[in-house]
Amino acid sequence: MDASKIKSALADITAEQDPTIKSLKMASLCSALWAERGVELVVVGGSAIEILTEGAYASGDLDLCHTSVSLPIRQRQEVMGLLGAKGGPRNWQIAGMFVDVLGLAESFARTPYRRVQAPYGDVLVMKPEDLFVERVLVSVYPGENSSARECAKKLAAVIVAGAIPVDWNEVRRLANLPEYRNLPECEKLVKEVADELDLKNPLHSD
Amino acid sequence: MNSTSKIPCIPIDGSISYEDWLKGRRYRRELGNRVAPEIIRRKSSSSDRRLKKLFDGERGLPFTPTEKL
Repeated sequence: MDASKIKSALADITAEQDPTIKSLKMASLCSALWAERGVELVVVGGSAIEILTEGAYASGDLDLCHTSVSLPIRQRQEVMGLLGAKGGPRNWQIAGMFVDVLGLAESFARTPYRRVQAPYGDVLVMKPEDLFVERVLVSVYPGENSSARECAKKLAAVIVAGAIPVDWNEVRRLANLPEYRNLPECEKLVKEVADELDLKNPLHSD
Repeated sequence: MNSTSKIPCIPIDGSISYEDWLKGRRYRRELGNRVAPEIIRRKSSSSDRRLKKLFDGERGLPFTPTEKL
């Protein structure tokens, strides 16, 4: 990506006042620049849930991980420097927001990362199967967490309604993994959401 | 949007275009609003200091109202 295109993208992102579009565009720009250097980035955590749900959940920072290898620290600083970033080497302030590159993406689902064709290049988004099971876990352990529970319910709503198709067998498999062991909690929450939306429960326990 | 049949989904395989992602924003927000409060941004986190400094005491930009999506 040449300097003029980067400059134009930064002006666009800086002026953007919708936080979700701003995050998606920033993820698109960062992903394109890191991909030119052989590193694939993926949006994770609350930022990913926001792109998938419009749940009005995320704060003003964009969380990214790499899917395999990362860049050496100096190269990270150089590539983010192209964006006029302040800070580093894992979090930067750019164009009126924060960008964190947290490390290797933690995913157990065998489904693909979801992909959005954003303005400056494709954005990979963490798999909703992983996001859902993880958010349900956080809503219960180590203690009740109402914010995580509301977030899990919003994610379940878009999934159950078909706006984000998922592989339910993968959801079951993940929830039975030693890393989670929370299938009953997942089933309960999906049933609750399906009932509230008056839709068929796709995660029956039988 | 009244007709859900015209709402593009974010597929498992392949990708969704930016235009289709934009088109589905309101529908996705409305679904979530049926099961939880409209704004569920956390009140605090370990990033509060830097966030509140950048966003005038808030933890991020205000969300676009559902009716404007």
